[in-house]
Amino acid sequence: MIPRAIKRLFHQASIGDQSYRFMFERGAADEVVAIDCETTGLNVRTAEIISIAAIKIRGNRILTSERFEEVVRPDAGMQADTIKVHRLRRADVAQGHPIWKLLPRFLHFVGGRPLVGYYVDFDIAMLDKFILPFLEIELPNPRIEVSQLYYERKYGDAPQNTSIDLSFVSILKDLDIPPLGQHDAFNDALMTAMMYVALRDKKVRGSRIPRLRTHTVFDPTGG
Amino acid sequence: MPKAFDAANPPFDRLTPHEVETLRATLDIIYFGPDELIVGQNTSADSLFVVIKGTIEERDGGDLLALLGPKDSFDSRALVHGRSGHAFVSREETLCYAVPKATILDLIQRNPRFASFFYRDLSLKLDNFVKDQEEQRYGSAMRARISELFMRSATFIDADDTIETAGHAMRDADSNALLVRDGERTGIVTGMNLSKAVVLRRQSIQAPVRDLAHFDLVTLKSDDLVSTALVLMAKLNKRRIAIREGERFIGILEDIDVLGFLAGSAQLLAGRIERASSRDDLQAAARETAAQVRTLRRQGIAVELIGEIISDLNQRLFSRLFDMLAPAEFRSTGCLIVMGSEGRGEQTIRTDQDNGLILRNSCDRAQLDSFRRQFSGALAEFGFPPCPGLVMVSNPAWSKPLSEYLADFRTWLALPDATSHLNLAIFFDARCVAGDPELLAEAKTNLIEVLRGEQAFLAHFARAIDLFATPIGLFKHLITSEANGDALDLKKGGIFPVVHGVRSLVLEHGLTETATDKRIARLRDLGILHDDFARELTQAFRFMLMLRLDGQLAASAGVSGTLVRPSSLSSMERDLLRDAFHIVKKFRDFIRNHFNLGAF
Repeated sequence: MIPRAIKRLFHQASIGDQSYRFMFERGAADEVVAIDCETTGLNVRTAEIISIAAIKIRGNRILTSERFEEVVRPDAGMQADTIKVHRLRRADVAQGHPIWKLLPRFLHFVGGRPLVGYYVDFDIAMLDKFILPFLEIELPNPRIEVSQLYYERKYGDAPQNTSIDLSFVSILKDLDIPPLGQHDAFNDALMTAMMYVALRDKKVRGSRIPRLRTHTVFDPTGG
Repeated sequence: MPKAFDAANPPFDRLTPHEVETLRATLDIIYFGPDELIVGQNTSADSLFVVIKGTIEERDGGDLLALLGPKDSFDSRALVHGRSGHAFVSREETLCYAVPKATILDLIQRNPRFASFFYRDLSLKLDNFVKDQEEQRYGSAMRARISELFMRSATFIDADDTIETAGHAMRDADSNALLVRDGERTGIVTGMNLSKAVVLRRQSIQAPVRDLAHFDLVTLKSDDLVSTALVLMAKLNKRRIAIREGERFIGILEDIDVLGFLAGSAQLLAGRIERASSRDDLQAAARETAAQVRTLRRQGIAVELIGEIISDLNQRLFSRLFDMLAPAEFRSTGCLIVMGSEGRGEQTIRTDQDNGLILRNSCDRAQLDSFRRQFSGALAEFGFPPCPGLVMVSNPAWSKPLSEYLADFRTWLALPDATSHLNLAIFFDARCVAGDPELLAEAKTNLIEVLRGEQAFLAHFARAIDLFATPIGLFKHLITSEANGDALDLKKGGIFPVVHGVRSLVLEHGLTETATDKRIARLRDLGILHDDFARELTQAFRFMLMLRLDGQLAASAGVSGTLVRPSSLSSMERDLLRDAFHIVKKFRDFIRNHFNLGAF
């Protein structure tokens, strides 16, 4: 495994299209982008991207008014693999554009901003699969993992043997974020964005998420 | 958030689908940590905020005015009028939609109904709100089921029965129509058919009804819509429809009953009360009077008019009962009064009987006692709950000669405690419903004379406006008088301060109106209340009465019904209620200043 920083330097040199050099510039300090991809499976090698959503966050403001939201039409050559895809989904994705047509706009939208996601490595790996042949780079953006931020706020100081639950639903519940329809790239990205602003604020204020006791405490009074 | 933004939430429900799309496309979402200032006092704002989750405090300097929760929006004043009257601060972690000012201004230009939400003036907002409601209510009456209506009984006679038998059957069933069975077919015969046969065609009263009956009977099922019945009657030119449940006939629906349901039957009831010849008749009328409230409200009649109609009917009822039960002597030299909210004409749903008797002279003890018992007992039977404070004719303290009342007034002034203030408040709202009105007028004139210039007493009296705090929370952390979830005591926190403050002012100025809105109008005419403020106060007061009535109707099965559950109000109603509470607060400040209550 090559460390990401070295990879980044390598890609900065190897980039195929010089007009994408902006991907290596950080941009405004208080801006990040929440992303989510809906895919046909969880195996990066065989799965296909069905839709991509990205929402900019500036400070505490989630800029839903400037969003990237696209349905992807799989390439003709990959059609055979996506046979497994649900019929309805296929009808839906037929409306979309092939991913190579969408990527330039996506890359301009996110720029060099840090990418926020829930298990964001998977989404980025999915995207890299298509970006690598296109630009000869992988996404160089810093990554912010909301489940990691959540872990710090909730379990950072937990004693050993505490059972840990980092599920999306638990995070929503603990942060009291209204559940939107899940498994829609835009809604998932938006909920992730809400998690991010709430968790970041908690971190600044040093506020922790309370853990419920998993076992009862012995009470010598019997009461 | 394009998809999850709830466009059914007022005022956004007034936008067209296209306008909703425009709005959604421009939305951002903002997160606020605890204690962040979102809109400063007297500043403008560049967005309208709609709460997604969390709690916002609305503050005026150090005062907490309201708590805003999900679906509430703020602040139209900061956005449209360039200056918020109040500051908005997040109380906890809060997520809000932010609608850009340009979007809102554009929608206001395009959509007048949407625009009305942003009016500065509460009375304009309310007018619009009421208009919207009326449309809904008219619809709801037409969507009612026939089973909700009053029907005549379905009494059968045989086609071979005579005209004479039919006439007796009608009288016994107290109905003007009978169903006629003739083998397989069913028909109907009416009183008018009988009369015509006998009077115009000189038929014998022994003739069978078969030839007079109509067998082209129109039938509907009891779960059919009232509107269907109305349409059928008009189309077929029928005055009666037989109503069935399955194969069985359960009643006959007459056009007058359909119209009565739609229009209310207050006029008919007034006549019924006047003609009542027994307590049973009155009891039936009393029951129907109570039922009228719902019908009138359903028609969208303004709450102050409902109050007037109901107190008029109650007045007739009291008066009729008084005539039936009171010895002749009381009727000529006594005065039956109703007090408190009944006296002000603001009691729509019966909560208690506040009534009393003023006599010119002292009278026979036994006779008086028997009347006291009978009168209060009859009212209790009629569904007027006894007064918990025993302000009733049955209590000797409230049925006695004028001279003793006058002595009471002096005691109240000399020993001003909570009880004397309460008694004064109740009595000052009194209205004569039967007997000699001169007695009450004399008593009130005397009361006003006694209190003239007693500023210290009046100030003490007025102080009760601060007895209950204005409820500020509108959904979860609010102040409730009883531990009733998120219920809100509209009576204590909103209605009472207005009623009592206004009462204190008219007492000071010796005015004799009893209804709060009429009192406000008089105070305005005298220049004591500013024109605009008087209008706003009246509107706010009526709005709170309406919410209370709706709450009472919703809870009509039990409990006091003055508790309104903010979570069951629309966000539009919550917004208006917030405005109304602001006006109550302003009025309290006015009263405090006026009576110099700061000195206590």
